[in-house]
Amino acid sequence: MEFLVSWLADYVDLGPDIELEVDSGGRHFMRTVRTEGRAEISKLRDELTSLGLSVEAVPISMFGTEQELKLDVEVTSNRPDCMNHFGLAREIAVKRKQALRKAVFPFTESLPRGGPKISVKLEDPEGCPRFTARVIRGVRIGSSPEWLVRRLEAIGSRSINNVVDATNLCLWETGQPMHAYDLETIPEGEIRVRRARAGEKLTTLDGKERELDTEVLVIADRGRAIGLAGIMGGLDTELTARTSAVLLESAHFDRRRIRIGAKRLGLHTDASHRFERGADYGVCEEASRRCAALIAEIAGGTIEAGAVDAQGPRPEPVGWRLSGPELERFGGVAVPDSEIERILSGLGFAPRRVGERLWEGEVPSWREIDFEPRRAPVDDGETRARREAWRQDLFEEVLRHVGFEGIPSTLPAIGGVDPGVNAEHDRRDRLRDRLVGFGYAEAIHYAFGKRSWDRELPRLVGTGDPIALANPLSELFAVMRRSLVPGLVTAGEFNSHRGARGVKLFESGHLFPGGDAAEVEALALVCGGTLGGEWDHHLEAELLALKGEVEAVFADLGVVAEVAPAAFPGIIPGSGAVWTLSGVTIGYLGQVGATDSAFPLFAAEILLDRLPSGRERIRIEPPSRFPGIEVDLTLKHPLAVSWGELEMAIRAEPVPDLASLALKARYQGAGVPAGAVATTVTFQYVSAERSLTQDEVNARHAPVVAALEARFGIAREEKR
Amino acid sequence: MGGPGSTGSTGATGATGRAGANTAPVPTLEELALLASEAEAAIASSATRASWEALRVSWAGAKSGRLKELQALIPKAADKRAFGQAFNLLKARVEDALAARDTELSRVEAAARVEAERVDVTLPGRRPLVGSLHPVTLVSREIEAVFRSLGYSIAEGPELEDDRYNFALLNFPEDHPARDAQDTLFVEDGRLLRTHTSPVQIRTMLARQPPIRVICPGRVYRNDNDLRHSPMFHQVEGLCVAEGITLGDLKGTLEAFIARLFTRQTKARFRPSYFPFTEPSAEVDITCQICLGNGCPTCSHTGWMEILGSGMVDPRVLDNCGIDPDRYSGFAFGLGLDRVAMNKYGIPNIRSLFESDERLLRQVRG
Repeated sequence: MEFLVSWLADYVDLGPDIELEVDSGGRHFMRTVRTEGRAEISKLRDELTSLGLSVEAVPISMFGTEQELKLDVEVTSNRPDCMNHFGLAREIAVKRKQALRKAVFPFTESLPRGGPKISVKLEDPEGCPRFTARVIRGVRIGSSPEWLVRRLEAIGSRSINNVVDATNLCLWETGQPMHAYDLETIPEGEIRVRRARAGEKLTTLDGKERELDTEVLVIADRGRAIGLAGIMGGLDTELTARTSAVLLESAHFDRRRIRIGAKRLGLHTDASHRFERGADYGVCEEASRRCAALIAEIAGGTIEAGAVDAQGPRPEPVGWRLSGPELERFGGVAVPDSEIERILSGLGFAPRRVGERLWEGEVPSWREIDFEPRRAPVDDGETRARREAWRQDLFEEVLRHVGFEGIPSTLPAIGGVDPGVNAEHDRRDRLRDRLVGFGYAEAIHYAFGKRSWDRELPRLVGTGDPIALANPLSELFAVMRRSLVPGLVTAGEFNSHRGARGVKLFESGHLFPGGDAAEVEALALVCGGTLGGEWDHHLEAELLALKGEVEAVFADLGVVAEVAPAAFPGIIPGSGAVWTLSGVTIGYLGQVGATDSAFPLFAAEILLDRLPSGRERIRIEPPSRFPGIEVDLTLKHPLAVSWGELEMAIRAEPVPDLASLALKARYQGAGVPAGAVATTVTFQYVSAERSLTQDEVNARHAPVVAALEARFGIAREEKR
Repeated sequence: MGGPGSTGSTGATGATGRAGANTAPVPTLEELALLASEAEAAIASSATRASWEALRVSWAGAKSGRLKELQALIPKAADKRAFGQAFNLLKARVEDALAARDTELSRVEAAARVEAERVDVTLPGRRPLVGSLHPVTLVSREIEAVFRSLGYSIAEGPELEDDRYNFALLNFPEDHPARDAQDTLFVEDGRLLRTHTSPVQIRTMLARQPPIRVICPGRVYRNDNDLRHSPMFHQVEGLCVAEGITLGDLKGTLEAFIARLFTRQTKARFRPSYFPFTEPSAEVDITCQICLGNGCPTCSHTGWMEILGSGMVDPRVLDNCGIDPDRYSGFAFGLGLDRVAMNKYGIPNIRSLFESDERLLRQVRG
């Protein structure tokens, strides 16, 4: 929001280095930006920034050949009181320990010269708790004086005519949005503030016809709506060249009501911007007088006595109480009493000393929006409960002006450490490191994706529809993901298209099953091709290598998962497998079918939430002091017999001194009939007590061999 | 048959003056022991594979080795038993010596081969494939480490939230422009994707009483998508609530954090600002990490870059969470991880963090 430096000088002294001219009305203007003033402007900029009114830029506005310097200030949404020159000047005055100058203007009213007596009816006192209406008769609509045009144009507002310009100037001066109606267009001068009727139509000043509903607050005459309250006036009651009597509105509207209306109608105006953030209930009448005086000054006419100030019930003002020692404890800084009093007085809080370093007062009307009182009113024993501000709201005001830079830095004095541990977080970190060790690069993808992902690739969570975004950025981000794999496959293809010879990517993140189901933490891996240079001799990605990596992850978590063949959408038949733990699905694996990657892609996903989060308790088995004996067994068996089946069969019968068994090789080719495979398994026999002899091992091993041959071997079939 | 070894110092064996296996006299036990010592010495000093081989043939040759000959004398010995034992000892000593020398010669030969073949040590090594953590993860870990050392623990929560946790309890009034700053992505059932990790702070405060020290890293979402904004990004927020927490504590903690995450020389500046859930609120600027405060286009020539939002927890928020604001106070802060990662690693475009070009990702070594 832009402010004129010269305009601020109407209310505070900015120092002699900024050279300004003053006109007969006490208004300041700049002609040229002088280098001498640069340091002063820089100081002003720093002062405002230190108060929470960040100056983002200092642009220059041209008026003919003359220059006006502006401050582009970021006024946060809790400070509507600073969205005008007077309000901003108040902060500068307090910071500079100056008195704030109020605008002085002549104000005289004349008795009504007949005509209808205006009236205002508040039919929605919650939406509009105050409405002042004042009549100025005998105005001549025309152009504005040069100084006024200059001020408005400098802050980016277009000059329209003298009366409208007067209301705009007052907005930027006092913060109060006002509106001028042609009085003759309002039958009997009768104003009603009410909700619009469903389907009611109004053509606004911008010439657009708008259809309203009951959430929108309107200014109406007896029958029709004549303006959108707090947002924009209506075309029918607009001032024209023939207008001679003006009805000036200066009202207060509920910020929520204006926000709802502005959002519904898609309108954002200077007026709605302020009302949405909370205007000053107390300034309505004063701003109306100020504006009426200005209209009379520049457009002629007389201000008619008998202005209406319609008010609905008004809540009690918000009281406050501040203890010096509490303030100092909270801020961690000493603040002298005189400073506390000076700052609060300057900001309009009118502190009254009520005890030893204790003050009380009321929150000024222009700051009420930022001082929402405590929920439970403080009952001080009298009949009326008092609305009281949070003390921290007051601390903020004082500390802001004391300055954060002067507050000594300390560390919290809390004994001990926080008791929390986060096993899930630590597990994720551990697994990340594990996968990085396996050569994977960590990826992070958006948590939303295409609807088709659910059909194109496997998912292990969610039964019904996916969770859809109500306002998606695009169809690519339509639904919340139920698998991490589609994002990784997309990334794999992206890398392939950019010439990569291989990918190894993983991601950890939440899945969104849909319905009321909680989010599920998952970990997924996608690999394909070969990474690294040829010289490095890396193996090409393949299904079983990926499986081994996932098994290593399981082992790290102390999980022995069962695996079984499984069919999944998007996975090449025969390559899919599902992992289960006590019958619960914990993951899957497979080769991706439809992909335009130049190398095959393999994918795996595991559901971390279904796995233990702690590390497995590790028990060390001391190795035997005696050497073991290894014996290989090669069994030719039909392909239909899976390794899992074979392994289960071996493990089913306890074999004495069998320390381990491991798959050594699988062979198909010469010597092995079609449809069969030769599986070689290494058995290791070790005794904890002594060295085994070959004969002893043979005695243990022979029955295993015989049993396996008899059950699975093709020799068995050949014999038949 | 037989005869002295063709090479080496076999004087002792020669001294026995054997003429042939059949006619040779039976050596004494002392002579056998002497023979063993002489054989060991000869074998141990065989300098080449050829001399070792000659000794092996002469001693352990299957047909006509000395051992064979001596074994044949056992039946002729006066005390067959004693002679047999002495012979066995001799045989074991000779065989051990041959084996030991064989191992030694093999090692020497292998070394000689390596030396002769000469690896070009300037050839590149064969590198193992090393993975990489995501830049955002690395930055998050650094921040987590700093706060863990300050006694904080890590709290996490869901990414789909409802209005209550994401806004209402954080003192965002309904229909208030403060919500505009956090352009929200909603899902069809009315819930929303959290716009900050503050809901985790709310959940923590609802679950426990002070003292509380947590940091909340995680993904957050806004309805924003351009070169500088991504609809998903990452935050770490922190919360400290206890009796007697001061604005000075907020400053001190963040200054300590900034010095650890960046450098000791990095200065921090606290600018009052507004967030609905803290008061007073402050944006924290640090010395621009590009120009080190001298002014550059990145920092709009101010020498500062904004990295943190912070403030003293608004008493309404404590009250909303069942924590007595008259007894406890606290501070909260938050920062975007993606921006820090981009600054730290010189990543120009936020979206390149999420498109997983491995040529980019694998440059980040943690």
